[in-house]
Amino acid sequence: MIARRRPFDTGRAAYLTLNGAILLFLLAPLAVVAVFALNPLPYISFPPVGVTTRWFEKFFTSSDFMTALWLSLRVAVMVLVLSTVIGGMCALALVRGNLPGARVLTACFMSPLMLPAILTGLALFQLFLLSGVGRPVWGLVAGHTLVAVPYVLRTTLAVLHNFDRRIEEAAASLGATPRRVFFEVTLPIIRPGVIAGGIFAFIVSFDQFPISLFLVLPKGETLPVVLFNYMKFDLDGAIAAASMVSILLALSVVLLLERVIGLKAYVKL
Amino acid sequence: MDFPPRERRAGIASLRRVSFVVKRRSPIAPVAWLVAPALLLFVVFFVMPFAVMATLSLLSGNPVNNPNVVFTWKHYDRFIEDSAGIFHDALWSTLRIGLVTTIAALLVGYPLAHWMARIKSRVGHAALLMAVIAPMLTGIVVRTFAWMTLLQDKGVINVTLQSWGLIEKPLPLMYNEFGTVVALVHIYVPFMVLTLTGVIGRIDERLEQAARGLGASRFRAFLEVTLPLSLPGILAGSLLVFALSISAYVTPFLMGGTNVLTLPMLIYQQVSSSFNLGFAGALGVVLLGVSLVIIVAYNHVLARLSGEEALS
Repeated sequence: MIARRRPFDTGRAAYLTLNGAILLFLLAPLAVVAVFALNPLPYISFPPVGVTTRWFEKFFTSSDFMTALWLSLRVAVMVLVLSTVIGGMCALALVRGNLPGARVLTACFMSPLMLPAILTGLALFQLFLLSGVGRPVWGLVAGHTLVAVPYVLRTTLAVLHNFDRRIEEAAASLGATPRRVFFEVTLPIIRPGVIAGGIFAFIVSFDQFPISLFLVLPKGETLPVVLFNYMKFDLDGAIAAASMVSILLALSVVLLLERVIGLKAYVKL
Repeated sequence: MDFPPRERRAGIASLRRVSFVVKRRSPIAPVAWLVAPALLLFVVFFVMPFAVMATLSLLSGNPVNNPNVVFTWKHYDRFIEDSAGIFHDALWSTLRIGLVTTIAALLVGYPLAHWMARIKSRVGHAALLMAVIAPMLTGIVVRTFAWMTLLQDKGVINVTLQSWGLIEKPLPLMYNEFGTVVALVHIYVPFMVLTLTGVIGRIDERLEQAARGLGASRFRAFLEVTLPLSLPGILAGSLLVFALSISAYVTPFLMGGTNVLTLPMLIYQQVSSSFNLGFAGALGVVLLGVSLVIIVAYNHVLARLSGEEALS
């Protein structure tokens, strides 16, 4: 009690300093990437000697990087569409369907998030190899969708659990058909959850590495795989510029999510 | 509602019985069919591939181009015998890196999760959440690159320390387990923070205030009230981070260099350079076994957590 009355609270200061250091640990690495993306020297060196945009030019004019970037974006958009449809429908069925063992099913559908993704990649690779389909782009999309659906499921389930069903009953008692109730009441209410899940699905697919590692063809690699292969031999500003693009994308996604649903919805277990 | 634990538990049990009976009466609704696409995706692209992996790990060759394949334990024998002396080491270093990463992520994540759960201002809370989620949504390759620029011999930390005259030679911060763990902690600490902050947020702050009113210092009130109550969160977060970090591939590969060999690295190596799908499958089954144990424990903790939440 005495400590609280003092003008300077040592405990509080230590608490805030510690947390400041942790925030620095979380965010400084991302900021450092920006330094190297703008530093004109051809190798990673510190402190920076100037400012240049040549690495961004190199990234955006390199056909290897651009092919990979377009493939990643295409796959991510397909995954977004597929996983919102599949995940949204699945969430409705799990909450409204009175399915026996819905809890076990939910745990099953969430499990691709926790099982090592590198094993999912290996297993899919072996399945495709044995069934003779090779390594098609749809296989990559399917693998990504598998790990993206849990995000849609999580955000949509969160919205559905807070849903007041009396609104639907009211609409029905006023004469709306079940179809009309769904499209004019249910869908608008769960939409933010589905959209937030879709945004997560997009970024998860865009960043996905271990599954892609097994399922991409040489010359048909996604951006993270190309970056990884490049980094094995060379660390220059082009990697930093590519990383910067990826970081800015993540930041815009975070801001978008905060606007759509509020990030709080994601904190739910 | 503050029931003593035993009565409360009995209450939960009877509630569960009631809800079970009620649920059983209601028929399966037509909307349940909407689960079909997800189920199909799950079976075709998750259950089947893992079944193939497990099958291949028990076959002597590839059944597609070789008609004479037989059932064999040889891939598992090879792992167990470990004549080259690298497989067991890979397993142990995978588990060791996972364990150290988990402990470090807990120590780094707890204070931040606590702050996030207790902060009063809404804007502050949103800002903290963004600070945690933005790194999480940045790819692992990108974040590993960031740590390489920090921890290299000519990286930011070594150069800065040298220019201040604190060290003569660069510190060995990278190409070892230390660098691997540091980068892994950075990558997985958001999962720890998000799990913990949910649990800490549900602890009634007045409990801590009561302890302080009775004369406990702030630190002691935390140690004896909040910390024990957040144990389920600590457990859930730790299991999650452990499961994620034992499956990491990129970070040990780039941060560990030739000095670190983990199970995921070994698995990819078996496919890409030896093309030994059977042995890769066997190694995969070993890693899968470890993961499954952790996932079952994690789901158990989560089920208990949500059971408590339902009543409060």
